[in-house]
Parts: sequence; C-alpha cells; structure tokens
Amino acid sequence: MTIDTNLAEKVGGKAFSRRPATTNIETALTLATGAALAIYGALRRDWFGAALAGGGSYLVYCGVTDLKRPYQGRVRAAFTINKPPQEVYDFVRNSENWGRALREPKFEHDGQGNVTLRFGANDKTEFKSRIELTDEQPGEYIAWASEEQMLEHRGVVRFKKAPGDRGTEISVALEYKSPTGPISHALASLAGLDPQQLVREGLRQIKHLMETGEIPTTEGQPVGARGFSGATKRVLYHERPAVEVQREERLAGD
Amino acid sequence: MKALCWQGKNKVEVERVSDPEILNPRDGIVRITRTAICGSDLHLYDGYIPTMEAGDVLGHEFMGEIVETGSEVKRVKKGDRVVIPFTIACGQCGFCKQNLWSACDNTNPNAWMMEKLYGYSGSGLFGYSHMMGGYAGGQAQFVRVPFIDVGALQIPDGIDDEKVLFLSDIFPTGYMAAENCNIKQGDVVAIWGCGPVGQFAIRSAFLLGAERVIAIDRIPERLKMARAVGAEVVNYEEVDDLVTELKWMTAGRGPDSCMDAVGLEAHGTGVAAAYDYTKQRLKLSFDRPTVLRQVIQACRKGGVVSLPGVYGGVLDKIPFGAAFGKGLTFKMGQTHMHSYTGKLLEHVQKGDIDPSFVITHRFSLDEAPEAYRTFRDKQDECIKVVLDPWQEPIAA
Repeated sequence: MTIDTNLAEKVGGKAFSRRPATTNIETALTLATGAALAIYGALRRDWFGAALAGGGSYLVYCGVTDLKRPYQGRVRAAFTINKPPQEVYDFVRNSENWGRALREPKFEHDGQGNVTLRFGANDKTEFKSRIELTDEQPGEYIAWASEEQMLEHRGVVRFKKAPGDRGTEISVALEYKSPTGPISHALASLAGLDPQQLVREGLRQIKHLMETGEIPTTEGQPVGARGFSGATKRVLYHERPAVEVQREERLAGD
Repeated sequence: MKALCWQGKNKVEVERVSDPEILNPRDGIVRITRTAICGSDLHLYDGYIPTMEAGDVLGHEFMGEIVETGSEVKRVKKGDRVVIPFTIACGQCGFCKQNLWSACDNTNPNAWMMEKLYGYSGSGLFGYSHMMGGYAGGQAQFVRVPFIDVGALQIPDGIDDEKVLFLSDIFPTGYMAAENCNIKQGDVVAIWGCGPVGQFAIRSAFLLGAERVIAIDRIPERLKMARAVGAEVVNYEEVDDLVTELKWMTAGRGPDSCMDAVGLEAHGTGVAAAYDYTKQRLKLSFDRPTVLRQVIQACRKGGVVSLPGVYGGVLDKIPFGAAFGKGLTFKMGQTHMHSYTGKLLEHVQKGDIDPSFVITHRFSLDEAPEAYRTFRDKQDECIKVVLDPWQEPIAA
C-alpha cells in the first residue's frame, strides 16, 4: 500500500528538504559567535577564558553538525484508543472536533483547506497553513500535504484495529521543513514547542476526549504563593498559565 | 479556604487560597472532614521528589462530604459522605478496564513529564508533584476530585471518619503489598518498616493467612504496635546481621516473602547505609535503597519481594545477581486503589480491623507545619497524624 503525500509536483516541484534562508543566517551566527568566543577565551589564558573557549567550541560544534543536518523534521507519534477504528476515524475526520476539542495546540480548520494552529502562552503563537488532502481511505488513513511555505509539511494519519479488544491504534507520521537552526530548536523544545511533542499532545487529547469525554486539567485550581522559583518551574514544565493569579477568595468557612 | 502549601524543602505553610471549582464535567468538590499526613508526604517535605512547585497544596489522604458535582457526574451526589482514593482513574481506558487503576492513561495532565523520566506515565495523584499531575491535594478545607464517580467510596452512616479515612491510601497500600506477597499456608512474611503502611501490611498479611509475620524496625513504639497483633519483631540495630538473624528465625529457609515498606529514605547500619546517605546528601541520587538490598538478600529462593515503599530515581549497588540466582519475583507500584476500597470497607464494617489503631496524634490544619515536623522526626512516639481542617487551633 502506498499513500501519496507528495504535493511537490502540484506546487512547483521544489525539493522538500531545501534549507530555509533564516536557518542559514542562524547557523552562520552560531559559527561566528562560537569561533569568536573560542579565540577570545584561548587568548585570555585563565580559567574564565577556558570556560569561554569551551562554550565557544560547543557552539562551533553545533553549527558544523547543523550544516550536515537535512532540513527535514520528522514526527512520529502513536496512541492506542479504547474505541473501534471507525469511531476514531469519524472523530478525526470531522474537522469541527479539532477546534472544539483540543486545549493546546488549538486547531482551526475552515473546511476550505486553511488550517490555523495556535499554541504557547495565551495561544499567541500562531501558525497558518493551507493544506490539501492528497489521499484517503475511509476508516484506514488520511494523508495531507501543505502548500509551499515557511513550515511546509505533509503526513498521514492511520487508523488500525489494535490486537485483541484493545481498540484502535492511531498514528501520525509527518515530515516538515524545519525553519529552526541549532539554537532556536533547543529553545523551542525547552518551551514545549517541539513539533514532536505538539503532535503527541494533540493525539493524547483526542484519546482523552474519546475515552472519557474530557481532557484532564489543573488550570484554575487553588494554589499558594508560587514565588519566583515556582513560576520558573511552571514554564519549564510547560504548564499553563505560566503565572497563576489567585482569584478573590470566597471563604466558605467565613 | 485554608490549605497547606509546600514552599520548599522542610517548609510547609498554611495559606489562604481560593476555593476549588468544577473544572471538568466529571469533577466533584468535597468538603474535607478529615485528612492525614502520609509517610510519602515526608519525601516531599524532605525535598526528595522532583517537580514540586512552591505553592502546591499537599495531601492525598482525605475524606469528606460532596458539596458540588459536575454535569456528567451520575453515581454519587451532593451530600454523600465519601473517601477519595489518592490515585485518580478514569475507569474507561485499557488500563482501568484491566483493574490497573494506578496506570490510568487519562488523568495526568503532565503525562509528558513522567514519560520523559519513566518511559510511560501513570495516573494522576493528589498533591504529589507535577510529574504526577500537579493536582491540588487534600490537606485543605475543600478539594476538587476529578472523575469522582469512578473513585469515591460512599460511606454509610454510623461509621466514624477515623475508621475509614485510611481507605484513601495506607490501608489498601498495605493490603495490596501483602496480597503481592502471594501468601500460602504456612508462609513466613518479613516486613521492613513498621510505619503506618507497614502496620497495615502486618495486619493484612495475617488477614490473608500468613502463618508468621516478622516485623523489622528500630523505633520501640512501632515495634510494640506490631507485637500487639502477633508479629515477631526484630530491632535491626540490636542484631549483628539481619539476614543471618532471619535465617535463624526461619530455620534456614528464609522468609517466603519480604516486603520493603520503607522506600527511598531508609535508615540502616554499616557501610552500605553510609554510602547511600552520602550519595543522597551530595544530590547524586534521590534514593537510599538500603532496605531494597536487604530484602533481596534475605528473601528465600523463589520467594517474592513486595515493594510498597516509594522509590523515585535511578538506584545503584542493587544485588541483582542474588535476585536472579534465587529466582525472585518482584511486585511493586502505586496501589490500584479502586480494586480494594470496597472490599476493605467490608472488613472494617465486619469488625475484622479497626484502622484507627494507627493514629497517635491529632492536630488542626493550622498546626500542620508542626505536625509535619513531629511526624518526620518521630518525636513524641508519633506514628500517624490526622488533621481536622475545620477545628480552630487551641491557643497556646
């Protein structure tokens, strides 16, 4: 079985893994900064210099390995949902469910192929793309591809009956043209904006909704004073909101 | 409302926070009438469990009255008196369907974090770090309970709070640990740690038909409590070598099953204990697996090692050759609470056991910081602390 996910011909046929210009700039900056720090550090001839030289060399290493990296990000994620395949397929195929259902990332689909993905603090990070379904077999798979743009992507969602009575295996395999260089990719992952993680969380929420009718949350529960360390950890733990404000208290005992 | 908040290592404070609200359709709100401090709360207090945030409300052993329910709650209703299990389970995923409730797929909002550390994520827990879901706990006046239909155990009138409170954690935990020992007629069960879980494990082992139970600790009042129900006791500080002693007591066979009801903050004697202590102080490890090594060494050939004690991270110097050489079976994990609460309530109703035996101290919620210190330092012969969130503190 081959599933067609190639839109390249339809949109001009450029190679999918071409390096984006922004990435070239980031890589060049990484290499230049790294080299400068390494040379300056070596010239200082003290412990601080040694540390600088070490850090600089690491940046150079990141930059060089980055030059060899194909600019094709890959995501593979799969979950088992305790529901029959047809039910899971119907849920996913109905794009209204995406917008209503997911907490983060938030999907919007206008039915005409325009998809908006929102994530990050207050859903401020927005990513729009125009997609086309390239292949589909009801109850088995849906393949799509986006038009050429900054973060070009294409992939396939598959639905398969799980062994025994374990429900449905739903999987997403997608590839995208990564716009990030070595530094921004690391920073994005730290803030929970790694594509692999976003797809996993999206699928996980579909599982939550289909099995239980709700997505588990702690957003809005009572907390004590978080202080600086607590607030910092929330960002590292990808929890929203990053800073919680306690509502005016309403004491049942008072 | 008032709630006990974690503010860092060795620091908990009673703070005024907002009341919990229904956040999901299957939530319920419980007005807490009794809550307790668990031995595993001390791991948080001592700062050994990662992913805590300052301001987190602690507490996972509590009971009370339902005061509000979400739109999809069907089985329980406002006004019900309930005990809430510390693990949160959805009742509908593949794991819940197999009665592996503490492995529930759908209750941990921070599942990714636990997946990074453990490979897969377990269920959410109340008041037990963000890796385990970050849910606000029950050392407070009110608590929000997700999937309240699935977990809440309804308590008939006429039974004291204190008799059923421990169905929220330590009684089922001790019971499952004993059940994991796979007790057969004539079996000798050795239990390390006579804290609250250990005490319930001792009684559960007898309930499940153990011939003899050997209880190991160093605190006199805890050993006394174990002896009171017929366990033979060993103070490990008073014997030369524990394994030799256990061999002697079992005529060379060794205990048929060995239980570690201590976990990651074990005390011990000798070089191994000093090594663990140093490593933990240097922050090279979260765990001191002193007892784990001993249970593996002491267990008979083909026996069972049961671990209700909590471990958090990567352990080393574990005698795995001994475990393999003797063909041991290991059973462990967070308690599958929902499988046990109903059955154990019946035992309480029939009078087979009165779980309130373990309570030594009662405090108001305002005195909780002091209660944590008393319990942690085992001052004043403290074994188990129960808190009343509505009692006004007695002015000193």
